Amino acid sequence: MHSTAHQATARQKARRGGSGLRPSLFLVGLLVLPALILAVVFKLVPLVRAFWLSLLKTQGFYDPTFAGISNYRSMLRDPMFEDAFRNALMVFLSLPVWVFMPLVIALLLFQRTPGWKFFRAAYFLPYMIAPVVVGIMFRQILSPDGPLNAMLISIGLAPLAIEWLNGPNSALFSLTAVALWSFFGLGVLTYLSGLSTVPQEVVEAARLDGAGFWRLLFNFALPLIRPVVGYWTVLCMSGMLIWMFPLVYALTRGGPGSATMMPEYLVFITTFEFLNRGKGAAIGMALFVFVAFISTFVVRQMYREGRGRQP
Amino acid sequence: MTTNDTRRSFRLRSLAASALVALAMTASAQAQDATTIKVLNWQPGGPEYWTALVKAFETENPNIKVELETVPFDRYPEVQGPYIATRSGPDVMQQNAGLELFDRRVAYQELPAEVLAAGDDLLTRSGGCLNYDLTQACYGLPFGFQGNVMYYNKAVLSEAGLDPANPPSTWQEFGDACEKVKATGKTCLALGMTGVFPAYWVFPEIARNYLTEDDMRAILAGKMPWTDPKMVSILQAMADIPTKGWSNGNAPSISMLPDGADIFASGNAAFAGTIIADAVNWAAFGAALGDENVGAMRWPAVEPDAPLAKSFSGTESAVFGVTTWTDKTEAAQQFVKFVAGVENGNLLTSLGGGIPLNSKVDPALFPKSGALEQIREIIKKPTIHVGVLLSGQETDALGRGWQEVALGRLSVEDWVARMQVALEESPGKN
Repeated sequence: MHSTAHQATARQKARRGGSGLRPSLFLVGLLVLPALILAVVFKLVPLVRAFWLSLLKTQGFYDPTFAGISNYRSMLRDPMFEDAFRNALMVFLSLPVWVFMPLVIALLLFQRTPGWKFFRAAYFLPYMIAPVVVGIMFRQILSPDGPLNAMLISIGLAPLAIEWLNGPNSALFSLTAVALWSFFGLGVLTYLSGLSTVPQEVVEAARLDGAGFWRLLFNFALPLIRPVVGYWTVLCMSGMLIWMFPLVYALTRGGPGSATMMPEYLVFITTFEFLNRGKGAAIGMALFVFVAFISTFVVRQMYREGRGRQP
Repeated sequence: MTTNDTRRSFRLRSLAASALVALAMTASAQAQDATTIKVLNWQPGGPEYWTALVKAFETENPNIKVELETVPFDRYPEVQGPYIATRSGPDVMQQNAGLELFDRRVAYQELPAEVLAAGDDLLTRSGGCLNYDLTQACYGLPFGFQGNVMYYNKAVLSEAGLDPANPPSTWQEFGDACEKVKATGKTCLALGMTGVFPAYWVFPEIARNYLTEDDMRAILAGKMPWTDPKMVSILQAMADIPTKGWSNGNAPSISMLPDGADIFASGNAAFAGTIIADAVNWAAFGAALGDENVGAMRWPAVEPDAPLAKSFSGTESAVFGVTTWTDKTEAAQQFVKFVAGVENGNLLTSLGGGIPLNSKVDPALFPKSGALEQIREIIKKPTIHVGVLLSGQETDALGRGWQEVALGRLSVEDWVARMQVALEESPGKN
């Protein structure tokens, strides 16, 4: 009798427990499903298709045939491929500037530096100009007889008035600088949104303790908004190459020679100018691996730091 | 007013209203019947000519409306490529005659005989047919003649102590002239090396000095290696232009259109190698510098005794074809036929600053221009335009290699090697 009652209670508990668990799992699944479907349809499927395409020989626009890894062989033989990825690495070397320059500006604005309202709008303005327009604009500004060189000459800095887009190093430097000019407003805004969670009283208290700007930056702002810094870093790393595309398109077309060739632009011309979709897909896969490798490294670092900071 | 008058007035108003409704319905039905075709083009001849062309076509074909998608010439492959890859988009497309068309023929319908008959009055239309052979499949009809000449600024030549009536005709004379022009502080040859222009506008003019027409056909077929001494000589002569200081210093980082042409049009250069029709032609330079200051000549001969050294690199400027994915084939064919017709030829001549291929065009329509008269003499001895026989890979490698050679970062030998790789990677030539 006792045993029967115990079993009934257990069954009731199980039923309660079961009926409590099932809807929650179902709900979780239901909520995750749209994101999962979107990720599969718009990320995974194109990725798998691109990989498959990279294994095909495409004769112009004719039906492709299976070619194994020949596109990858051709890609590795192509000197432009090496140049494009070397340029990408060179651009990555400027990452500290991409990360810290907006932070410095954001902190200045956060401290209500005189004219901060004007500068907040002014720094964000370039981000609102279409990158292709930025490219066309800077083609004029950076031309040998353009306004930049005219200004440098007028202030007695004639030796610095070089042909910005003509040299192998100066062209890449100019392109990176234009990209930075165009996008760093977004970084400023991102950091400002992070800093807005910090009460002004904390800043005032730090100031009263005698903290100068740089101490505020390194001992106060940086630790407090570390996750935002991490987020912006990852965004920059994956975005730097993508953001470059319209600028390369409008400003240099990857030249002179391959001095400003970027992997994404190489994918584009290989696919649509050379009509070699298979090889274009192979370069695209290499670009995917390149960005994934670097982003994974940074994201893992972020998670590691995040775990370390947990109580 | 009597009751009868009121009734009559009401009837009249009702009748007028009914007539208006009927008229509106007819107009609406006609609008619904009209077929709209989309035409992808780079607007050769300029907007005024194209507006007139569309108007004339729509007047002749009231049931067809034309919607233009105009793309700058040097961006054209990048816009057209995705359309072809996805088999969707315009009903009619413009294409450079030659390999560019052959490479993309999957996007074009083979034109039937009745459409091709509209090209019977054209001086040539073989560039729209496979391998320049009228007996093979034809994918488009041309309308204008195109090719390269070198324009010169008579005022700049005079300033440099040169005789504008006798511009340099050999490579040696050109070099000497450049030294004199440079001494005045001006650029000798306005040049831009970015994009497709080196392949289309410069390469053919040097190549004529070393190649025969059979060699050119071998290039089209992919049978002429870049390691051949003739091809190496062409690249060497091209390399001489910037390395001898004949061109502007920023040539490697600018495009010939518009930047290079702007240097000439602003009066800061003595010479510019561009084209006879479309943009940056005798009309545009005449408008910028004054017709009296603009002259046109063949590119100076590198090898004056070569059989084609005094020929004109000419081709059908472009052809228009009907896309394979259109469901408006008949309307699209009507447009292609109209483009090749005499009416369009007259418009091209009078408004577009072009040289028409249609032999029935009224010669009196040609504008009065000294440079145009010189061009009409030059084109009398045409040869194959070898620039349009290069593949996309070759075109790209030619321009980029030239940039690097000009900057001293690449030797001609390495440029040759790159060109050979580009040839081996060209889908249409292997």
